[in-house]
Amino acid sequence: MTSTSEIFPIGKAAPRADARAKVTGTEKYAADYYAADQLWAGIKRAGMAHARLLEINLDKARELAGVVAVLTHKDVQGSNRQGVARKDQPVLVDDKIRHAGDAIALVVAENRALLKKALELITFTCEPLPEIFTMAAALAEGAPLLHADHPDGNILLQGRLETGQGAAALKECAIVIESSFALARQEHAYLETECGFAIYQDHKLEIAASTQTPFRDRAEIAEALGLEVENVRVIAPYCGGAFGGKDGITVQTLLGLAALNAPGRAIKMWWEREESFNFGAKRHRAELHYQLGCDRDGTFKALSVEVDFDTGPYDHLGGVVLALGLEHAGGPYRIPHTQIQGRAIYTNNPIGGAFRGFGVPQVAAAMEQMVDMAAVRTGLSPLAIRLKNGVKRGDRNPLGVTLQTSTGLLDCLRQIEQDPLRHEAEKWKAQAPPGKLRGVGIAAVMHGMGYGPTVPDTAHAKLALSREGRFKIYCGVVDMGQGNATTYQQIAGDLLNQDFAHLELILPDTDQTLPSGSSSASRTTYTFGNALIGACEILKKRVCERAADSLMVEDWQEFTLLPGRLRHLPTGREIPLQRLAALLSPDERVVSNRYRAPVNRDQPTANPGLKLHGIPHLIFSYGVHLAAVEIDKLSGNVAVKKYLAVTDCGNLINPQLFEQQMQGGIAQGIGYSLYEDLKVTKGVVQTSNFATYIIPSALDLPEMICKALAQPESSGPFGLKGVGEIAIDAPLPTIANAVSDACGVRCREFPLTAERLLRALKKEEDNAHKI
Amino acid sequence: MKEVFRPRTFSELWQLRRQHENAALYAGGTDLLVQMRAAKINPQTLICLERLAEIGRIEEFNDEIAIGAGVSQHHLLENPTILKYFPVLCQALQALGSPHIRNMATIGGNIMTASPAGDTLPPLYILQAELELRSQKTQRRLPLADFINGPGQTGISPGEILSRIFIPKEPVFAGHYFEKIGLRQALSIAVVSIAALYNISTERKITAIRLAWGSLGPTIVTLPEVETFLIGKTLNPATLNAAATLVEQQVKPISDIRAGADYRRRVAGQLLLRLDQPANYRQTSA
Amino acid sequence: MLIKFNLNGQDVEVETPPARRAVDLLREELNLTGTKEGCGAGECGACTIIVDGTTKLACLLLAAQLEGCRVTTIEGLEHENELTPLQEAFIAGGAIQCGFCTPGMVLTAQALLAKTPLPTEAEIRSAISGNLCRCTGYQKIVESIRLAAHRRAGELQ
Repeated sequence: MTSTSEIFPIGKAAPRADARAKVTGTEKYAADYYAADQLWAGIKRAGMAHARLLEINLDKARELAGVVAVLTHKDVQGSNRQGVARKDQPVLVDDKIRHAGDAIALVVAENRALLKKALELITFTCEPLPEIFTMAAALAEGAPLLHADHPDGNILLQGRLETGQGAAALKECAIVIESSFALARQEHAYLETECGFAIYQDHKLEIAASTQTPFRDRAEIAEALGLEVENVRVIAPYCGGAFGGKDGITVQTLLGLAALNAPGRAIKMWWEREESFNFGAKRHRAELHYQLGCDRDGTFKALSVEVDFDTGPYDHLGGVVLALGLEHAGGPYRIPHTQIQGRAIYTNNPIGGAFRGFGVPQVAAAMEQMVDMAAVRTGLSPLAIRLKNGVKRGDRNPLGVTLQTSTGLLDCLRQIEQDPLRHEAEKWKAQAPPGKLRGVGIAAVMHGMGYGPTVPDTAHAKLALSREGRFKIYCGVVDMGQGNATTYQQIAGDLLNQDFAHLELILPDTDQTLPSGSSSASRTTYTFGNALIGACEILKKRVCERAADSLMVEDWQEFTLLPGRLRHLPTGREIPLQRLAALLSPDERVVSNRYRAPVNRDQPTANPGLKLHGIPHLIFSYGVHLAAVEIDKLSGNVAVKKYLAVTDCGNLINPQLFEQQMQGGIAQGIGYSLYEDLKVTKGVVQTSNFATYIIPSALDLPEMICKALAQPESSGPFGLKGVGEIAIDAPLPTIANAVSDACGVRCREFPLTAERLLRALKKEEDNAHKI
Repeated sequence: MKEVFRPRTFSELWQLRRQHENAALYAGGTDLLVQMRAAKINPQTLICLERLAEIGRIEEFNDEIAIGAGVSQHHLLENPTILKYFPVLCQALQALGSPHIRNMATIGGNIMTASPAGDTLPPLYILQAELELRSQKTQRRLPLADFINGPGQTGISPGEILSRIFIPKEPVFAGHYFEKIGLRQALSIAVVSIAALYNISTERKITAIRLAWGSLGPTIVTLPEVETFLIGKTLNPATLNAAATLVEQQVKPISDIRAGADYRRRVAGQLLLRLDQPANYRQTSA
Repeated sequence: MLIKFNLNGQDVEVETPPARRAVDLLREELNLTGTKEGCGAGECGACTIIVDGTTKLACLLLAAQLEGCRVTTIEGLEHENELTPLQEAFIAGGAIQCGFCTPGMVLTAQALLAKTPLPTEAEIRSAISGNLCRCTGYQKIVESIRLAAHRRAGELQ
């Protein structure tokens, strides 16, 4: 069945390269690394939100037989700091505890039971500091500072962008809609919790970790622990899910420190589910205030946005989340006068960090509900108001940035308009049984791709002809489950005319593959794919040239590659690749190619912080979603019954992988809309397992129909642009708009739990009685 | 090192219990092993009852059915006798945990855990189940409602085990209804649940009704006044709304991580309105 | 304690502490890392195995309970390099993304089809409702199980 002897052209659903190993249980994830005499490492956590660490008592733990090492910040030789932009997070606390998950000490023991016991034996004293659990408290006059050395106090990053007359233009609008929104923290909830496996021997530290960023990790580990970069190797197997939660250090530096202190012994660290819930990074909680002004005919004129993100105590890409939030705050619309401002704010809550969507789900949730409210006020349908104001290529977006690349929003809207499912949904809505309310809603979103204008969005593809005559693709970017490794195989297979049997994937490994950036920002296949195309061309030419030399033919273009061989077309003579490989030196058989993504030259802001964190992007994907929901009047429970998404993400290389990304993103988005709420009290997570933090089961999700416009983005590999994140941006407003369509009620706090909705329905009913 | 024993007969069990007085007993392990992992308990000796044949049977007698405490929830759900006599129990079992949990967990375990959110408990209360408790020397039978004292608290005596659950076949009810409001459709813990047994006359007058709610208090909640109110009234939304108001006045749920007290109170009453749906009523009784 | 059981068609004897969790015994002692651990509390289904024909959660089973049982893990499905129709369907249907839930899903579906050869979509969704997946939204998993069922039914005809 699984065809390894087929050449899968671009556009065909090639089966995933990893599928067989995953379906037989033989794929080796970071969690699956074990060694016979392996040790276990674990973390003593602070358990309190804000305090000055005074003294750590390690004696009892050290005395325990079978405990190999008990380590504190004093054992760290390097900077003891980690982070991507601001390196403000200690590997092990050396001064202040800033959240409950801070690492106080690291224990290495012979087995898990001993590890647990030793961790319990560690005690420490500290001086409590005033705690900050709300963004308002962080901003209050005289608030204690989380990082005394940060020039902006408790504001990690802030930005303000203005176009036209800014917020002043609201005064001239015939209609102004105003609303506030609050969105909960979301947990990544990948099934493979944070884990890794390390060994230090012959002066080299090797770590296999579940990570999205092996090359950045290597640099961070080296700096934090005081090692030379070349003495650190990071191996990144397929992740058991990541979604941004492994975009940055989780276990790596601590595991490295453990290995340095137990040379020659393999060490495993694998967080338990509760540990992952309690101490891993989360999607930022956000509070937003919106004012949208328009003419009576529904033409958008002015927008004012204020958005605050609770970034927790450390910069885990919180600045990027803010920047993306600001850039997308006005949605995919023409709005001539805008004022968009926001802050990422330090608190003693759990760390807010990277999560698929990066700030866009929060702002899209607000903006797309504002648009529906404007539709109600102007008497336009939700589709009509979006068609009226939606951007097309050449327009300026709400930041004033000219859209210079493929812009398929209006086509997505038109496709939704004509889709039979929309008509079916409208009919279905009219047939609600007693006790149920039904509604249909839509939302339109855009999502920028890549790192923005300052940070180089580069990839280095390495490709080799093996001695056995197969092509080895050295993947520089992690496959955390999206299937990008398979896409690389498909690209190389198409360009080199090879079936999967003659293609081999080398997964990211800092000793073998080349730096190609993070598996994030919807840029993975765009950037690495473009690099790989170049590498394929170089190697193809080289192989054909050497074949021409060996057959004493003048023109290398008379050759074509075929699976495992070359054919000289004029004569039909063939050379097996294996034989040709023997003629080439190992150095000749390897090529590499660098690609750097183009950047936007528009200048919506002079703020270097915002530019560094990604404003403005050049290429955007677009999407319009439609949901049909049913509300149970007795319980307030919302069920999503039908779902349709139309996406402009350029051409599709593999339609099945496109659907996987879309369906998975929508599923997470439905969870974000209706169920998922990481509750935190005094800095401590209250929902630290799957019984209290609710992600959707198979019974909670509808069929999701996902269509692509498949209009090429000319700069993309085979016309592709990013699709990894956009699916999660739209479900919340789509569902909220459908709920409002069903019952006329709009909640301002999310997720839209049954409890919240029932309360709102009751309030509405009571108000109606009063009138 | 922890020990694990798996007695096959009562006599093996009694002997083990004499030798290991502090042993923890479990059947499916879906509760006990979770508590052990959370370090809430740390028993050094475990006695697993899954192979104890004497508590693994379902028996039909003239006027009652006896369910062995060790019968898995999955087996109960598959059993035609249970479905025939006690649809309300089957409805509750279908909503319990997940298929894997139902394969492992037992009805006895659900009772012994004595959680107010235990899904089988509201139906068992209104089916007026009685429990058989055995020790080496004693055997006694008492109503379930008298056995459960609070969350995790039962009237079990040292040396005793829950051996069988007896459910009377009569009176027969044509209306069987169970519903759980949880936070999702599977793997959910009740925010509120309701179990109802009722009969109506041809004129839609309620002739008999029994009601019980889960997750509204420390134990399963029954409201005799609401039942009394409903008897003799016509089954329609007006009657049920009036009863719902009574329910809301009488229950005193708590707020927790899953839901607030107000929500629980409101939904506890509102769920009564489901009884008006004809699908929940069998035209011919069992 | 010495425990004897049948593992993927082979009789095995293994010396282990009796209260060791089955998931640890399989992964750490027997090198069968296809059985995943996602929560340790019976809430995610990643550690699903088949014991005497019934799906169970290896994080809530103690080693001693395996004594005398027939145990199937994901590694036991493939025979002489041949995948089961269900495994083939998971690959063809795109049911696999990160793959961490896949072993549990496949075994759950295997047990379902053994009992219900042609399940409805609702039956499939209900059967896998104890197996959480964070990548797929379940749709392609459901479709793949249905595909396997229909292929098998087609062959039987």
